[in-house]
Amino acid sequence: MPDLLLLGTPVDAVRALAAGLGAELVEVPLGADDTVLEAWRAEVAAGPAVERLVVAPWVGTQTAGRVDDLDAASWEDRAEQPLAAWVAVLGAAVTRCAEGGAIVAVIERPSPLDCVGWAPESGVADAVEALTRSLARSEGPRGVRVNAVTTPTRLTGPDVIAPPPPLSTFPGTVERDVVGAVRLLLSDDAAGLTGTVAHADSGRSWR
Amino acid sequence: MTGHVVLITGASGGVGEGIAVACGQAGWTVWIAARRREQGDAVAAQVDAAGGHGRFVACDAADASSVRAAVDAVIARDGRLDGVVHNATSGLSPKPVTLPDLPLEDLRDQVGVSLRGSWLLATIAKPHLVASHGSILLLTSEAGFEGKAKLAPYAAVKAAQRGFARALAREWGPEGVRVNCIAPLASTPALEKALVMDPDMGPRLFGRNPLGRMGHPVDDIGPVARFLLSPDARYLTGNTVMVDGGSCPIT
Repeated sequence: MPDLLLLGTPVDAVRALAAGLGAELVEVPLGADDTVLEAWRAEVAAGPAVERLVVAPWVGTQTAGRVDDLDAASWEDRAEQPLAAWVAVLGAAVTRCAEGGAIVAVIERPSPLDCVGWAPESGVADAVEALTRSLARSEGPRGVRVNAVTTPTRLTGPDVIAPPPPLSTFPGTVERDVVGAVRLLLSDDAAGLTGTVAHADSGRSWR
Repeated sequence: MTGHVVLITGASGGVGEGIAVACGQAGWTVWIAARRREQGDAVAAQVDAAGGHGRFVACDAADASSVRAAVDAVIARDGRLDGVVHNATSGLSPKPVTLPDLPLEDLRDQVGVSLRGSWLLATIAKPHLVASHGSILLLTSEAGFEGKAKLAPYAAVKAAQRGFARALAREWGPEGVRVNCIAPLASTPALEKALVMDPDMGPRLFGRNPLGRMGHPVDDIGPVARFLLSPDARYLTGNTVMVDGGSCPIT
């Protein structure tokens, strides 16, 4: 049985996450339409059971843009397609996860103070947090834990609204700030944690 | 404040109907934006009976041209718009499903009505809301906080609305437009349907409610929505107010 898989898109930050965790990266097609995503889900779900899975179907690049400037195409690219990808990939992860296993979703989320220009991403992030809690409920009876780590690493502009985050490392890096939080939630040290969302954002989000 | 003009999507029944009648009680003009004309006209008549002015306008909340036509109809007749409420949800909302088996087409349907609908209504109404220093109210759910084992897509889109509203409140606050959410728990046809489809839901809902009853759409949910739409709430934005009898202990 494979020990650790990362279901994620082939972008640099996700590759860094896989490398930091020592996980095998199962590539999610970037920007795929629903037909491709459903075929990918079916193919990946048919694989052998895995004890621990990390899920990170991130978009290729993140570019801030206010709601006033959104058109239908950018709305699709920033809100609806990413959410469809998350649903497909989390569905595959749940199917592959062995009884007693653990899943961690790694979510790109702007902190509430820094979400100007990131309204679609803020919506997707909250949606994935809710999916995490939904799966924690549905999978808990078979001993599967489902948690999430959020990071603003690619969703923060150059100007930080006062007061500054508690840690000067904000917005952090995948290697330093995300990998360790994911590793903790995957480990037996987190045996009592499910449905938890840990904000690896240098203290910027306080709830 | 009797000159207040608001538009409510999905107001032909349930919580939307309750908010419409509550706004009517304040003498407001309430546009019932829905797909079902017969039911919408009936709610408009209830608004009239409550002391307001009820009007029906056909609207598919997931369709940009339909939402634009609805907002244009409001302006053409009443000349102003003080608030919009996005209450419409997909008919698939109460359908139990497990995530691995969820057809993405079904997800898209829910996303289209709830999340895209929020974006469309907000952006199309914005010029009029800037003019009136008006507000936007999105109907979300405690499901968006806690998740739902069998209603994961519903929980996801309700949470997404809250995240979207949080950012929108910050973006449009400087222009005088407020954006808030409420998460109601009320006895509605949609909830009754969900209870039938998931018999375990009833004990879960009632066993955790310190007030020991379901909310009433007009008397319990309506006044809170009306407050958030009114100038009395002029210093509130970016909030989600739980109107659920204390069921969801998030404080």
